[in-house]
Amino acid sequence: MASVRMQGLKKRFGAIEVIPCLDLEILDHEFVVFVGPSGCGKSTLLRIIAGLEPITEGDLYIGNQRVNDLTPAERDIAMVFQDYALYPHMTVYQNMAFGLQMRHTPAAEIDARVQNAARLLDIGPLLKRRPRALSGGQRQRVAMGRAIVRDPKVFLFDEPLSNLDAQLRGQVRSEIKALSQRLKTTMVFVTHDQVEAMTMADRIVVLRGGVIQQVGAPEEIYGRPANRFVAGFIGSPSMNFLPVTLLKGAAHLLDGRKLNIGATLEGQAVLGIRPEHFVPAPDGSGMPVEVTLVEPLGSDTLVHFLVGDIKCIARVAPDTKPLVGERLPLAVASGKAYLFDPDSGAALPAGILP
Amino acid sequence: MSVIAQLVIVAAGILFPIIWMVSSSFKSSADVTAYPPTFLFRPTLENYTRLLQTTPFFSYARNSLIESGSSTLIGLLLGVPAAYAASITRSSWPALVTLSARMAPGTLFLIPWYIVFRDLGMVGTYGALILTQAAITLPIVIWVLLPAFDAIPRSILEAAGVDGCGTLRSLWRVALPLVSSGLVIATILAFVFSWNYFLFALVLSDENTKPLVVAAFNYIGEGSTDWGGLMAAATLIALPPLVLAIAVQRWLVAGLTLGAVKG
Repeated sequence: MASVRMQGLKKRFGAIEVIPCLDLEILDHEFVVFVGPSGCGKSTLLRIIAGLEPITEGDLYIGNQRVNDLTPAERDIAMVFQDYALYPHMTVYQNMAFGLQMRHTPAAEIDARVQNAARLLDIGPLLKRRPRALSGGQRQRVAMGRAIVRDPKVFLFDEPLSNLDAQLRGQVRSEIKALSQRLKTTMVFVTHDQVEAMTMADRIVVLRGGVIQQVGAPEEIYGRPANRFVAGFIGSPSMNFLPVTLLKGAAHLLDGRKLNIGATLEGQAVLGIRPEHFVPAPDGSGMPVEVTLVEPLGSDTLVHFLVGDIKCIARVAPDTKPLVGERLPLAVASGKAYLFDPDSGAALPAGILP
Repeated sequence: MSVIAQLVIVAAGILFPIIWMVSSSFKSSADVTAYPPTFLFRPTLENYTRLLQTTPFFSYARNSLIESGSSTLIGLLLGVPAAYAASITRSSWPALVTLSARMAPGTLFLIPWYIVFRDLGMVGTYGALILTQAAITLPIVIWVLLPAFDAIPRSILEAAGVDGCGTLRSLWRVALPLVSSGLVIATILAFVFSWNYFLFALVLSDENTKPLVVAAFNYIGEGSTDWGGLMAAATLIALPPLVLAIAVQRWLVAGLTLGAVKG
């Protein structure tokens, strides 16, 4: 159990700069999720922590120890790989025991730890099987078991749920979260799935092009996105972005319509509205939009419409049953309008108003 | 054409020389040179009895075994780590370098090779023969195992690293068990090639270290050739590799689909 600290970390593959310069501290016992689109450097960062990729420049500390020059074996970390990477020629028991054997743990203790982990993950009956004879979900558990028995300083997860079907993914997701609360070990989890990030993390690190966009608790990332990228990446369906001119508290859309958002700023901006923050306007006050597509999800309904030529989505209550072609007056929930700088994409400080 | 007919034709083409060799070894000296060749003849063991009585056949066999066995062992000891290193560093040049020794015809090297060993005082020793044959076994081992190692998902080797293995231990405990069929194939091919390698053995061996292939050559005389004896010797020489191949047939077949199956 230990913190992980990166200082001025840089990573280049030949001429390609994957991580330009990165500072981050992951606290002891913290569950941190690296999230971002493919190629954002999240997996590279995890592999750097694991010691599977050398550091080009900068320092990496696990606990108080600088580990730049330590091999993966010397770092006392455990990793769950995307394809699980179980040893095909070993039984489940041997797979889990292997790391302890390599560290010369006494056989009795190995047995106790493996049995304990097997109980924890409910894979006791599988111990004598080989990976070939396991389902995807079972292999995933064995991969976690192999990490758990080691009782490492840091757990690393490299998109471990991406090869599972949707239902199993949800189940394992909650299991990993429960496990993290039980084990109280520092965990770093990489995913491109913002739902996994939101549901599991103590803190989320949003990455793009090897640069940290924002670090914060899930509600902070969702509620106060630092820039347009984070706002668009977190939340499903994505936030709607509309270029606007702010004038006297109202946002004037390009097509001349306006939305009252009570902004104090004036000038050009990008207005961001999450689908779930559209509300049907009570009287004629809202912005009437023409419905182009309706997707009923049961719990709520997604309404697609166009503002100019920009596709937008609103999430409304299921009892609002709009028809395609119907004009639906929409307003923005109080205090839920986000404003971004049209050039830099940075969130404008007065973007969220009471 | 049916598949079976095709197989029969191919098999006949491949097997004919072997059948000819074996059948000739059981022919009397009159039958063996008969023209047109006889296919129906009275089998005799006289070639084999003469071979075993007039030549120290078993001491030649022992020489062959020592030389091929040792050179195969050296090929494995050097080739397995070399192939693994080439695979994990994704570099193919070491494999090319080992092959380069086989690119030019051996006759080009023969004289300088002989001079080197003569100056070392090693001509006629097991050492000279074993080292020479290791130059044959090494590239075989590397070239058979390199694609086998390449087929192992990198994450499995990385997992071994995270689990506490250094390079040698992940080779021994994780990579090698996963390429076991490739290892068997490499061993057999190396052994067979070394067993049958003639040219350098002819030059570098003496009466005490002469392997079977060279000894069998003695049956081809200047004036007359003892074809029956030669065929009997050839049949006996071919026997160990054949037995070996049949014994590990299961792995050989599995090896053909190497890499197709992931754990």
